[in-house]
This record gives sequence, C-alpha cells and structure tokens, in this order.
Amino acid sequence: MAREFQRGHKAKISDLTAGTDLYVGVQIAGPGLTFDISCFGLDANEQLSDDRYFIFFNQPKSPEESIQLLGAQAGDTESFRVTLDRIPANIHKLSFTATVDGAGQMSQIGPGYIRIVAGGEEVVRYAFNGSEFTTERAVMLGDFYLKDVWRFAAVGQGFDGGLEALLKNFGGEVAEEEPAAPQPQAAAPSFAPPTQAAAPAPAPPFGAPPAPPAPQAPQPAPSFGAPAAPAPATTPQQMHAAPTMAAPLAPHGGTVPPPAPAPAPFGQPGQPPQFGQVPGQAPPAPYGQQPPGPYGQQAPAPYGQQPPGMQPPGAPQGVPQGAPQAGAGLQAALQPYKETATGQRWTPQNQQLMRVDLTMGGTPVLARQGSMVMYQGKVDFSYKGAGFAGRVVGNATGQEMQLMRCTGRGQVFLAEDGSHLHAIELQGDGICVSAENVLAFDESLQHEVRRIEGHGIPGGALFTMQFQGTGTVVVKTHGVPVVLPVTPTTFADCNAVVAWSAASQVIISSQVRLRRNAYPGHSGETVNLQFRGAPGNFIVVQPYEV
Amino acid sequence: MNQQLAGYAPTPVTARMENHGRTMLKVAMATGQDLYARTGSMVAYEGFIQYEPNPPAVRQIASQWITGEGAPIMKCSGDGLLYLADYGADVVVINLDNDSLSVNGTNVLAFDGHLTWGVERVKGLAKFAGQGLWNVCISGTGWVAITSRGTPIVVDCGRGEDETYVDPDALVAWSPNLKVKGKRSFKASSLIGRGSGEAYQMAFAGQGIVVVQPSEDSTDRLRVRN
Repeated sequence: MAREFQRGHKAKISDLTAGTDLYVGVQIAGPGLTFDISCFGLDANEQLSDDRYFIFFNQPKSPEESIQLLGAQAGDTESFRVTLDRIPANIHKLSFTATVDGAGQMSQIGPGYIRIVAGGEEVVRYAFNGSEFTTERAVMLGDFYLKDVWRFAAVGQGFDGGLEALLKNFGGEVAEEEPAAPQPQAAAPSFAPPTQAAAPAPAPPFGAPPAPPAPQAPQPAPSFGAPAAPAPATTPQQMHAAPTMAAPLAPHGGTVPPPAPAPAPFGQPGQPPQFGQVPGQAPPAPYGQQPPGPYGQQAPAPYGQQPPGMQPPGAPQGVPQGAPQAGAGLQAALQPYKETATGQRWTPQNQQLMRVDLTMGGTPVLARQGSMVMYQGKVDFSYKGAGFAGRVVGNATGQEMQLMRCTGRGQVFLAEDGSHLHAIELQGDGICVSAENVLAFDESLQHEVRRIEGHGIPGGALFTMQFQGTGTVVVKTHGVPVVLPVTPTTFADCNAVVAWSAASQVIISSQVRLRRNAYPGHSGETVNLQFRGAPGNFIVVQPYEV
Repeated sequence: MNQQLAGYAPTPVTARMENHGRTMLKVAMATGQDLYARTGSMVAYEGFIQYEPNPPAVRQIASQWITGEGAPIMKCSGDGLLYLADYGADVVVINLDNDSLSVNGTNVLAFDGHLTWGVERVKGLAKFAGQGLWNVCISGTGWVAITSRGTPIVVDCGRGEDETYVDPDALVAWSPNLKVKGKRSFKASSLIGRGSGEAYQMAFAGQGIVVVQPSEDSTDRLRVRN
C-alpha cells in the first residue's frame, strides 16, 4: 500500500507505518553522472551541530547506529536504515540529499525516487525527474522531521552548489579541499555479495534484496568495505585517495580487525547479530574509538559474505538474541499500539479502531450493534429501536439494521471485522451513506433513511442513511476507499458505493443489453448508480462488493 | 518479474523473532532453543526443523485444554528459519523481559520453549460459543508472538478508577495481575429479545494492560481446518 507523494506532501510516519525501523531507499541516476547521497542529522535550528550525524559514504553510521548507510541494493542507488526511536533527542531533522559528483546538473537526471520501506513493505514513494530541476547540483529529496512526532516530507528542493555548499548551508565545515578523487560511489559498501559462491546462502539485505546485485557498482578491484570473497579479510583496503569530506577522520590505512569466531547458525551464515557490526566484535563502540578500518570507519559488516574460512567448523550455534529496536520488555513491544488520547470526541486509534469519548460533547452515540470491542468508564448500552420515521431495513426480508445507544461517561472503542474506519465530521452539510457502511454517529445528527429502488439491486433496493447537521459519522469500508469527484459521467457499482455527498443526485442506470443477458453467465455488471451534481460533490467507493 | 517480487525477500536476521510484513512471523531456530507454535501455523521453513504435535510436555501443562483432540500446540526444534502465519492476522512480536502476559488461546502464535507457561480457563466466564475461553499465561524472559485481526490497541487499565470492559471476542491479551470477571449487561429490555447486542463483557480492574483487536472475529482458523 505504497503512497505516492508529490513535492511538498507531508505525513506522520505513524500514519504510514506502525514501525520505527525504516529503510530509506534513493534512486537517482543520469547519463554519465555519479551522485553522493547523504543524510544530514540536523538540530532544532536546522544546523549540523554534530557532524557525527552527517551520514555519507565516509561515515556510514551515526554513533548509536540509529542512521546507517547500507549501500546500493534492490534497485536503489543508495539506501539507509533509520531507527527513529533511537535517534537522540537533539536531532530534529534528517535531510536526505543527493549531490552531483563532478560535472553535471540536476536537469540531466532521469526518473528517480526516494522511498520508505517498513517491515518489508514500501509505504511511501516520492518520485521526481530531471524536468523539475535546472542547473542545480544538489537536491534535498526528503526530510524526516520532528514536530511532536516524526513526520516525512517530500521536499524535492534543488540547491545550486554541490556537496560542500550544501554542507556549509547546514553549518558544517569542510575539512579538506582536496580535488575529489574518484568517488567511492561506485564502491559504496555493497551488500550484495561480490561473488555469490562466497556466501553459503544468498545474503538477504536489509529491507529489500538486491535485484541485480549492486547495479551501480562497476566492481572496483576489492570493493570498499566488503572483503572480496576469497581474500583474507586482513588485507589493508586502502585504495581511494581521501575524497573531500567533512567528518573527522581517523587515521587511514588500518586493517580490518581479525574477526573472532562468528556464530554461524544455519541459514544465517555469518550474519552479524546487529546491523553494521562485525560479528564477534565488541558492541558498538562510541565513534572515534573503533578500531581503525579503511577510511577510519568500521566498514559495515557485509552480510553473509564472511569468507568461509572465517567460520571455524563447529562454531557455536546460536541465534541472534538481539533485543528489538524498541528495547526489550512487554511495554516496549506494545508501545506502538498504545491508546492515543487527543482530547477530541472521536479519535481514530488506528485504521480500524475508533475511540469515542462520551464525556465530551455529552450527546449519546448511536452505533451498530456488536461494534463495541471495549469500553472504559460507566457506559450504558441500550437498544435503539426504530423509533425514527422509516425503519432502517437492511434488506427486503425485513431485517432491521440494529443500532444501540451508548450513553454515560467513558470511552467506547468501536470496530467491526477489521474494516477501515473513517470519521466524517459534518458541519451543516449532508452526506448519504449506504446503510451497511454506517458504524456509528452522533445522535445530534439528523438522519433519515432513503431507499433507492431499482431492478437488479440485490434485495430490491439500496438503503442509505442521509445525515445532516453538525456531528460525526463513522463510515466503515473494506479496504482503502477511493473518493471520486462527481462529473457528468460518474458511475458506481451499487454494491461497492459507500457514501456520497447529499447534494448529488442518484440515478439508476441499467445497461440492459438483451443480447448480453441472453447468455448465461453474462458480465453481471448491469446495475450501476449514476451520480449527478454540481462540482464539489464526491462519492466514496470501496474496493469490495458486498 | 524478479524486480517486483524482490522487495519481499527476507531481511537479515537480527533477532529470534521478527515480523516479515505485518502478517508473517520469522523465527530463527537453533538447536536447543525449542519453540512452541500453534499447530498448522507453519507456512514455510528453511533448514532442518522438526515438528512434534502434542508433545508430552504440552500434554502435561495443557491438560486442561485438551478436550480429547490434543492441545493445538506443536513443538518445533532444529536449525533454520521458520515462517509462521495465521490466515493473514497481524502478528505482534513481544520480547518479554521478566514480564508475564496472558494471551487468549486463539491468539497465541508462538513462544520460546523455555518460558514458563500454563493454560487456564478464564474464571467467572464461560464463553458460550466454541470451546470456552482458554488463555495461555506466559512468563519469563524470551520471545512471544501473538496474532490480532487488524491492528491491535493497547489500553492501560489502571488509569482511571473505572473498570475496563472488553468484548470477549475482541480480547487478545492482558496482564495476568489484572482482576478479571465476567459481566452480563442484562436489562429488562434485553429479556424480551431486544438487547444492545453487547450482552457479555469481561471486566478488568487493577494495574496492567489489555490488548484488544479491532474485530470480533475470534474464530480459531487454525483449529477449524484440523
């Protein structure tokens, strides 16, 4: 259920995914261009006050590893792992940027994107292409920013200077101004095994697998960070002259520390217990005290690529028992699902659960019978008879739509069959909702039952409830609905339509074709509702035909 | 084709239990670290894993649960990666850190073999439908995976003075130290067949949490198939 963002769109991360362990992938490419993709961890003043939070090819992770650079994989030019709840409090914004390395400008780039993947599913994608830019040499693609909660914004803002200018803009300092050597972009720490044979099992990379293994990497001799499969890991891997960089550098020319016997449980050959940590090595040391590796940083541990010789036969079998990102314990595990109280009368707790606080507003709530899953406080549930004019009749058999009235003081949690719930707040306007899709509504709303008759509608007629006044109606849909504007040619299946604005007029349109009907098992899509109305009217349709 | 499917490959193992997507659980198995899982919940595995349905240890612990057909729990042992799912229900992974949790029997997916666990019948309430409301009380330090139809919600029980009432069909898990009792909201009107539709609830009082799913579907799909 990936959402497509346009430039300027923003959303709470919690609305996109319940997880906080996110994979951020960036794809950007252009003929003859190479890019540096980096992440700036900025403070409340949008300054890079701590340059350990400038995550780029030379500094692939932040001290506490809340932000890690993962390299090219799964079609992404560059990828990051961001663990939001481990980001220190002084970091208020993560800005993902791409800069052209060498000659070139942003207008030359082809279609690219920045996307967020959580739990194996892509949740957001912001696509861009070169036509949105001109001579810029850098672009701020997207931001994670903290405004009460973490949010994501698709930025797509070009920037004239290159990486150094961008860095200066964020208040960072450029340490050395050497002419840029061949950028290690091509040799970004590749998660894909250099040779598949080296890994006893395919190495599943974080977030997404390598579709083509590291497509951007034209395989420099020993690839940076990832020990070439058969080579001993202790070979000094200094091969690139130091490129322009800002972060404090530890001495060059170290060696990869001899790895300790790695736990080698079946199926996870050589995978380190934690991301970015060589197995057998001490837990993440504070930055600056790590054993010197190539470029001063500990190379991200190549998953599943430990040369076979490094695992002594009969190594102790073990399962990584790493604690979850949120920390151990029951409370931590359930934290993402906590009740949220906003002080409003109707509060969606998640897509499928609605909380109504009866102490606010004071009017009772009418809800479909059986939709209460939980309540706190003193709440009375009573039968709501068909006292109002026109029984809500669910179908022609005379079965009523059963409502109950919730009164008292307390919070009631409503849900039904895991369907998606949408609270629609009416302020004097009207809406028609198919009776089957009404979950609950404020008793203060005027409601009346309407009947749309037509041949071919199951049960003989479609029952709708028209709501008018001030209050909230909760509508349930199976799946994510689509909201269409009413145009002269708007049709909907009578079984899939959920709601429409009351000002639009409904017409039954039957496509009766005798010849089609003559066949047994014809298409069946014969009865549709046509909607007519002034611009501004809309209809809501669910991806499910009752 | 690979391009589209590639996004669903497993992620590297970082912990004993992890979510793969919302609805699948991935367990890293190793010799000596047995796992109890719902019978029939296995969807795939890599490696050498053996399954023992209704093992003696379970028969002893879950003797109450057994109604002639055996406890719906199997012991999994071996080395490899095990994938579990329950008909598309959301999976919540919990790392117990010397905590305890009482989980509705149908909502248990898997838990570490070394955890202390027991089966008990919920006091004061016999659910009319099905086999009654059984819950599995798990405590210790280790991993537990539970299922929920839809995104669950966790409510702090001891926040107000009032009790928390839950529809038994929507109940997933709760803290064992809570006081549980059944409540029937009978009224004169419900006696003549016009109830509010919410006739029985479970009342929780005390300090602790209650986990509730947004659905009143408590069908034990894994058992139905057996």
